[in-house]
Amino acid sequence: MDEPSAGAGLLSQTVPDDAVDVTLAASGDAHAFERLYRSHAARIHSLARRMTGPEHADELTQDVFVRAWEKLGSFRGEAAFGTWLHRLAINLILSRRSRLGVERSRFSEAEGVLEQQRATPARPELAIDLESAIARLPEGARQVFVLHDVEGYRHEEIGELMGIAAGTSKAQLHRARMLLRTHLEPRAPEGRLQ
Amino acid sequence: MTGDQWTARLSDYVDGELAAAERDALERHLAGCPDCEQALADLRRVTMRARALADRPPERDLWPDIAARIGVGGVAPARARPLRWRRPFAVTMSQLAAAAGVLLMVGAGAMWLVVGPRGQPAGATGQPAAVAPGPSVGPAPAGAHQFAGSVAYAGAVADFQRVLDANRSRLDTSTVRVIEQSLRTIDRAIARAQAALAADPSDAYLNAHLAETMRWKLELMQRAVVLATRAS
Repeated sequence: MDEPSAGAGLLSQTVPDDAVDVTLAASGDAHAFERLYRSHAARIHSLARRMTGPEHADELTQDVFVRAWEKLGSFRGEAAFGTWLHRLAINLILSRRSRLGVERSRFSEAEGVLEQQRATPARPELAIDLESAIARLPEGARQVFVLHDVEGYRHEEIGELMGIAAGTSKAQLHRARMLLRTHLEPRAPEGRLQ
Repeated sequence: MTGDQWTARLSDYVDGELAAAERDALERHLAGCPDCEQALADLRRVTMRARALADRPPERDLWPDIAARIGVGGVAPARARPLRWRRPFAVTMSQLAAAAGVLLMVGAGAMWLVVGPRGQPAGATGQPAAVAPGPSVGPAPAGAHQFAGSVAYAGAVADFQRVLDANRSRLDTSTVRVIEQSLRTIDRAIARAQAALAADPSDAYLNAHLAETMRWKLELMQRAVVLATRAS
């Protein structure tokens, strides 16, 4: 089997498939849209899972791509398609907060569990991975944490997206981090997370 | 300021959002407060790990459900059969018949074979060509770089471009912008592939990439022509 050459590596990094597939999909090409789905499904599903919990992630991911198909005609190409899709996903996910709010009792319960564990001396057997710990955060703190620390949004942007003050976003972020800090695995050796 | 109040400022400190005076004061406090120092180290660890989280695809393939919801259920893998169009302007057989032919052929050592009355307006709308959706590029089309510079390929591109130029005003500006941006992107990709292949003309991977990128260009131009002529 042929090994990709150095030139091939360079090419694979510099050929942005999206631009072509977006244009084809906007003209109604479902095959091109399927390629876009396959390129971006992991990112969108991970965002939905972290923002709302695993039980909603499949449905939200489908909703995002259906909405994207419907709105492709309004995509102006001023930003990368991935950026546009990501913003569309966040808006859709946040707009569902009220519907998902009926399940907030679960979050309150989870918060209690986290708070209780925080008071417990950290032991290796209590450590949980970060994804699981995020899922157990209270809703507001979880969403701000995901948007800021995972997705890289600034507090001002988060405030605009969520309809809250930037100061509230900061407070929620600190709360989330403090809750998470005691629920990670024992400190990894230096370099392990590099 | 109490220890708890300092703790509340640690996230801002981690994010570099404290004013200089407050930052200096916090650093003086940290020097004598092991608890806050430990909390700071933990917060940094949380943020580092958050940034390092890897995306994970859904456990099941969601595409069939999405395809059903957008009305393209049962779509076969890309290019396994002729493309479907979801909107009422589906290309009719008469439109395609009126067009000159650009036939994409891929096979062992394949090249694209371009046939048709290049340079001659075809049909009332002047559509020059249609790219038949062919099979995926299979075996690497060794020598694709030579075809990229061939008269046949250049002629097919020129035909499409001529019709696009003639019908540009029928497309809205955003569509034109997207098409032109995409074509520039593809042209850059083709140029890069050609440059890489100049050093190693027999590289199968690069030849396959070049062939695929050339096909994207023809497909994109074909669709742009269909859009433009549909708008007439």
